Amino acid sequence: VKKRHSIFASLWPPLVVLVAAIVVMHIWAKVLDKPFLLPTPREVADIAVQRHEDLLASLWTTTKAALIGFFASGVCGIAVGMALAASSLVRRAFYPYTVFFQTVPIVAIAPLLMIWCGPGMGAVSLCAFIVSVFPVIASTLSGLLSTDRALEDLFRLYGASAWARLWKLKLPSALPSIFTGLRVASGLAVIGTVVGEFLVGLFGPGEGLGVRIVAAKKQGHTDEVFAAVLIASLLGLAMFAAINLAAKLLIGHWHVSEQER
Amino acid sequence: MREDIVRTNQKSEIRMTKRNALMGAFCLLAATFFCGCDKNRGSSASANSGNVKLTLDWKPEPEFGGFYAANQDGAFSKHGLNVAIAPAGEGADTWQLVATGQTDFATSTADQVLIARKQGADVVAIFAVYQTFPQGIMVHQARGFKSIKDVFGNSGVLLAEDNSWLHFLQNKFPPVQVKIANYSGGISEFLAKKDYSQQCFVTSEPILAKHQGGDPQTFLIADEGFNPYTTVVICSGDFWRAHPEKVKSMAAACREGWRDYLDHPDPVNATMHGLNQDMDLQTFGEAAVAQKPLIETDETKANGLGTMTPQRWKDLADQLVKLGVIDGSVNPGQCFVNPGE
Repeated sequence: VKKRHSIFASLWPPLVVLVAAIVVMHIWAKVLDKPFLLPTPREVADIAVQRHEDLLASLWTTTKAALIGFFASGVCGIAVGMALAASSLVRRAFYPYTVFFQTVPIVAIAPLLMIWCGPGMGAVSLCAFIVSVFPVIASTLSGLLSTDRALEDLFRLYGASAWARLWKLKLPSALPSIFTGLRVASGLAVIGTVVGEFLVGLFGPGEGLGVRIVAAKKQGHTDEVFAAVLIASLLGLAMFAAINLAAKLLIGHWHVSEQER
Repeated sequence: MREDIVRTNQKSEIRMTKRNALMGAFCLLAATFFCGCDKNRGSSASANSGNVKLTLDWKPEPEFGGFYAANQDGAFSKHGLNVAIAPAGEGADTWQLVATGQTDFATSTADQVLIARKQGADVVAIFAVYQTFPQGIMVHQARGFKSIKDVFGNSGVLLAEDNSWLHFLQNKFPPVQVKIANYSGGISEFLAKKDYSQQCFVTSEPILAKHQGGDPQTFLIADEGFNPYTTVVICSGDFWRAHPEKVKSMAAACREGWRDYLDHPDPVNATMHGLNQDMDLQTFGEAAVAQKPLIETDETKANGLGTMTPQRWKDLADQLVKLGVIDGSVNPGQCFVNPGE
């Protein structure tokens, strides 16, 4: 009973916001009375049901690209963060340039991505990677550089090797920070994928949500645009929830940030 | 004592809750009010003066030369209009701007007018610059293609936007062998890859590609049977009904401006080049020459530049219905007026 009560307690605030948002959108759409600008939630739901097969196929394509981009960001971001943390010289030389990933306008390099990878999944995943890797690098670096000095001294005192210090002290203490970066990257990977599909996505059966959004917009199907955007948001939410779950499983038993309050 | 404090706190909480609910209701009402204001925003703040706004669906380029000519050479002012020409960014759905009263006039395409009307937007075409659809498919000459059919029947990549013409071509040339990727502008991918083809305005990208060392060969989509009026001046039905004289003046001034530009493009090209330095003057000149036969046809020689026929609109509507882009509820006769008639 207590567990059920706690689930209810955590679910009701977002549910109230959701219902309020739906009501506001409905009233706004009715008052505006321009379905090509803002459809009612009912119209969005209707088109989502009507075109569920196409939308699910698009979701699957977008999910694959977002996951590839996200995992690449996770692996490369953590590796680069570790490399930067290892040496202050390397850090001073390369860290400023990692900001490139944060600032590069994808639209400017889209032709290059298309020429390197060809249109479709490869180029789209690369967009997702470029957009989402920086937070992982920055948070990994910050976590590794924030290790408790006293503990480091203790490890040294007991003659721990550099590898042991990294593996048994620095990396575990950096995990909360790394997970924060991964949470940010999960949302950005979805954004990067949808933008990538706008620019270098392939048309045809199983086209990604980004391509579907562009196509529906061209044909004036605003209800379908909203349905596709909503599904992309749900994908971002699902990825965020998955990272939260992973964080809870990996560090929930010892780190205060992942414990119930 | 303790119970009093608790009771007082509870009352205060109830008051706070009521106040929050009232605040929420007020915000909702305010939002609704502002939405209502947006809905009622007039089609033009300057409805009774000669000030009007014309929003273009791209940057100043030769496809809009006649409008700048009308501005520069006084055709607009001769007809009592003071026209502010506003270029828009790529992907701007200008019919939405017209339908929501953000602009008085805009340029669009005939198929977009039909799509807009299907969505319930009351927009009307009043002047059609291109009588022949200037959109084409640009391929590398080295591939030896003879027509668009070869583009769709061979491997490689076609960069295109998901427009009605693409649906038409996919429908006409099955099975589609070429991979179709979203076109996001430019010609870099085309120049870099020999098996790439792309959509183009025959008056723009092929000229640019040639200047940059490419070997472009262009096929007009109109030759395959899909030929919507393009760079069509549109306004809202409300505006047309409320200000028919102003709309007539606009169409007449556009006609004079385009006549002027077709005959003497250089001075206006210089003005547009000042506004859009991405295109060099030589390209402006070549494009102006290339587009002339697409604008001036036997039809316009008989009835005047910008004129439109009911049959062309009906043919296009039938094609879009067949493709499933619109349904039969759209009446093509309501999509346009020839204001001079």
